[in-house]
Amino acid sequence: MTTPSDDQIVERIQQGHILETPAEMSDDYRRTLIHILTVSADTEMISAPSYYTAAKNSPSMNNLISALAIIQDELSHAHIGYRILQDLGVDTEALIYDRAPTAFKHPYAFDVPLRSWVELIVANAFYDRAGFVLLGDVYRHCSYGPWRRALAKVDKEENFHLRHGENGMRRLAAGGQRDEVQRAIDWMFPMTVEWFGLPDSLKTHGRQIAYKLKGSTNDQLRQQWLQTAVPLCEGLGFRVPAHLDQAIGVYVLEYPLPVEFDEAERRWLMDRPITWEQVLLRWKRRGPGNAMFVDMLQRGRRQMRALAGRRH
Amino acid sequence: MASADEVLAALRDITDPEWPVSIVDMGLVCGVAVEDGVARITLTFTSTACPCMDMIRDDVRDRVLRVPGVRDVVFATTWDPVWSKERLSEAARAQFRRWGVAV
Repeated sequence: MTTPSDDQIVERIQQGHILETPAEMSDDYRRTLIHILTVSADTEMISAPSYYTAAKNSPSMNNLISALAIIQDELSHAHIGYRILQDLGVDTEALIYDRAPTAFKHPYAFDVPLRSWVELIVANAFYDRAGFVLLGDVYRHCSYGPWRRALAKVDKEENFHLRHGENGMRRLAAGGQRDEVQRAIDWMFPMTVEWFGLPDSLKTHGRQIAYKLKGSTNDQLRQQWLQTAVPLCEGLGFRVPAHLDQAIGVYVLEYPLPVEFDEAERRWLMDRPITWEQVLLRWKRRGPGNAMFVDMLQRGRRQMRALAGRRH
Repeated sequence: MASADEVLAALRDITDPEWPVSIVDMGLVCGVAVEDGVARITLTFTSTACPCMDMIRDDVRDRVLRVPGVRDVVFATTWDPVWSKERLSEAARAQFRRWGVAV
């Protein structure tokens, strides 16, 4: 079977065709799918050591069980992504265990360590909501059958994670931890807004949308996130730097995106606009928790390889 | 005075945090009694490490306190009977089948 041309692929996908095997793909479709799947699997994977580090601050056994269940879900979602990458011919052993920490493709947000139970709760409410928005978009549009079907379950589990965040915020708000929640919101809200990436005016989505590996643009997805994240915070009486512009029915930010982030202080300098090139540089450099979190994932494998090597 | 049936009806509004299926249809409700405005609700969960226990109890408390005549909710957890798929109602089975989940 000859490899179909890119135009043929796009035409068939637009007619509603779902691809089931790598043989049906053009090189560019396959490359694009591998890129998106790697970002997705890396994101699920790295959230595990990030959340695990924060979960050590669980205030009760029940809370710890919930946090660990979420971490278990994230690892299984990562496993699904890497498993599909294997079918596409990717050497996932090397991808997961031999890659330099800075080469992982998860969002910068996960490189900034969470320091408390409160921050873990807000991460569930914000970061898992971003995951829910992004994966929900893939689930509804994805032209690659194996991934689309796997996402039916992933979607439900992410829903539980963000509900865990919402319930948690509600409890903390009622329980006298309002200041601590507000402090977490202050740095984690803009962090999630930035997560969605370049605005549509600067972003070329390439063929991601034509291939139906993504259904909506960055700005549309960011808007979807704001549509539920802002009312959640406002409903609980927390301040966020965004509001609904009633006239146009769109959520607007109250600061110029993007702005400078003080990594050491975990503070956004709202009066210091920067360019997206500068953001991309920070993302590429990676954040303070990057090496530690990747090491948590890779260490055991390296130890086991060393033991196996000694026996030979 | 609220009756156990009224409380049970209210519990039908509470869904599992993962799947939008009522906790009654999920087979999680093992007993309901009301005495002097206190609703005593016995729940089981799909596993002893169910991550949603607190969330479900919070949802139940909020809803049952809105039943006229209920002023307090007291929970008990039971692991006997052991939860299994057999406890799913026919309505829940139909819903799961529609989502492509084997039950």
